[in-house]
Amino acid sequence: MGIIDLDGLEVRLGGRTVLDGLTGELQGQAIGLLGPNGAGKSTLINTLLGFHLPSKGTATVFGLNAHHDRARIRQGIGYMPENDSFIGNMSGVRFVRYMAELAGLPASEALERAHEALFYVGLGEVRYRQVSTYSLGMKQLIKLAQALAHGPRLLILDEPTNGLDPMARQRMILAIKEIRKEGSIRLLISSHLLRDIDETCDEVLILKNGRIAALCNIEEERRANRNFMELETVGATEKFSVSIRGRGCECACFPGGRIKLVMPEDMEARDLYVIASEHGVQIRRMNLRRDSLEDIFLRAMENEGGRAENVSL
Amino acid sequence: MSVYKHNYRAYTGRVTPLWTRVLVLARYGLAEVWSSKVSIGLFTISLVPFLVFLVGIYLANNPIARFLVTKGSTPAPGFAINAAFFLKMLENQSWFALVLASWIAPRLITFDLADNALPILLSHPISRFGYVLGKFIALFAALSLVTWIPSLMLFAYQGYSSAQPWAFANLPIAAGLLAGAVIWIVFLSILGLALSSWVKWRVVATGIIFAAVFVPAGVGGIASAILRTKWGLLLNVPVMMTELWCRLLGAPDPMRPGQAIPTAAIVAMLVAACFICMGMLNKRIRAREVVRG
Repeated sequence: MGIIDLDGLEVRLGGRTVLDGLTGELQGQAIGLLGPNGAGKSTLINTLLGFHLPSKGTATVFGLNAHHDRARIRQGIGYMPENDSFIGNMSGVRFVRYMAELAGLPASEALERAHEALFYVGLGEVRYRQVSTYSLGMKQLIKLAQALAHGPRLLILDEPTNGLDPMARQRMILAIKEIRKEGSIRLLISSHLLRDIDETCDEVLILKNGRIAALCNIEEERRANRNFMELETVGATEKFSVSIRGRGCECACFPGGRIKLVMPEDMEARDLYVIASEHGVQIRRMNLRRDSLEDIFLRAMENEGGRAENVSL
Repeated sequence: MSVYKHNYRAYTGRVTPLWTRVLVLARYGLAEVWSSKVSIGLFTISLVPFLVFLVGIYLANNPIARFLVTKGSTPAPGFAINAAFFLKMLENQSWFALVLASWIAPRLITFDLADNALPILLSHPISRFGYVLGKFIALFAALSLVTWIPSLMLFAYQGYSSAQPWAFANLPIAAGLLAGAVIWIVFLSILGLALSSWVKWRVVATGIIFAAVFVPAGVGGIASAILRTKWGLLLNVPVMMTELWCRLLGAPDPMRPGQAIPTAAIVAMLVAACFICMGMLNKRIRAREVVRG
């Protein structure tokens, strides 16, 4: 049994099917939830938190039904929502203490843990300031602090690096890595930023149009060490890509003549030059690289017949 | 996760029972109420009539003091401590309760809505109903301090001061005070929370709560005058409540004969208003409990 089990999960909102028959078992230490905007990431999180009643199928968290046992599930979950969500006229420490008490900590323990959580995320020095006076980065961190304060078993982070500058993003990623390393908390991180997931997760669930486009273990994929190739070409790129597909390559084309491809066993880089010359295409750059999350994602999008345009790298 | 080590540690301590989370909301709600100087000022002012009535009871039960104050003349009718005396007290305090509710209710709800706190609050083991109940308890407790608690304290003081065995003979007044005040503050609390949940700005919410009490009263008055019917009074909350309180306390009915509204109609109107308010609250909170996207 995984941490999260999905069994034909279907969620309909406003007459529209938002999640369509999701089936899978998520058991990684840190699970990434990827997908373009509108893929159903937030709906899946809300369903796991018990806000939405599945129209078909079930979702279980730690073996508990996500809707019927939502109070018990929420007891063990720390949730950091995507958007601003706080009580602005409270001080940081009071806000985190309030949330910890709501999660079930007695008042004195909640206060102690609130101080600790705020120091842990780096807001120790500003913990007596009103939350409304915090910068965007601080607001993200206080949402993380309140999610951590009660010592959850599963931490759900919805777009944790949303709107952060590079320094703040790096701090957030480091904090997530540390939490993962500590080992007592499982993480479910939703993002449309591949880098965030790549740096922090060991398993990834890719959603597209409410369906599972891919569910894989990033570490295992990396261990498989399939060699990918990145090309920069000039000329009739489309004809070239059709031709190399005909030779058994998996490939994805991007604007500016960029092509990413996986060659079959019997093909060599030299063959690419031959095909390119046949179509009058110049290969300006050729990089061999290991299989990355980006490639996994692109394959998933290709398999679903979609485009990867909503995903930032 | 100690402060000096700055590393994370899991929590392994005691966890409070699920039902107590509502009380956490109520406690923080009450703290929010008392954090405002205006609230404290209003509470203090609301104690003034209580003190005046307290002095009235003292004078009514102390012939020497009464003689000194009235200088030997016949005591004013207000000196009689009966159902009408307590009705006046309840009416006074109920106005203060309305003012307080219109100030406090927006503070309890709009801060959460303005900063979009509901997704975080409700991701904890607390339901929508639990959330509303917690806020309701906070508001109910705050309004209790100016309505039934001082009223029953006065009743107890009268029972203590009276030379004759007064309290047991007048227990229906105490029951009427409690029931009348509780009905009023339950109605005010639900109305205040529902209207506050639909308005983002606290000042506007305060105005709308007053408007919700007085505008229908005006409309009801116009309807009664035009249609020559007494049923327009069902929209007039102050009149309805006064009539209900009179019946609960056993005080003389101020309405002309033939103009009185049946108790069942008053209760049905209040219940219907409460259901509408709860529907509004549910709709609003349901819409704001999750992050859409």
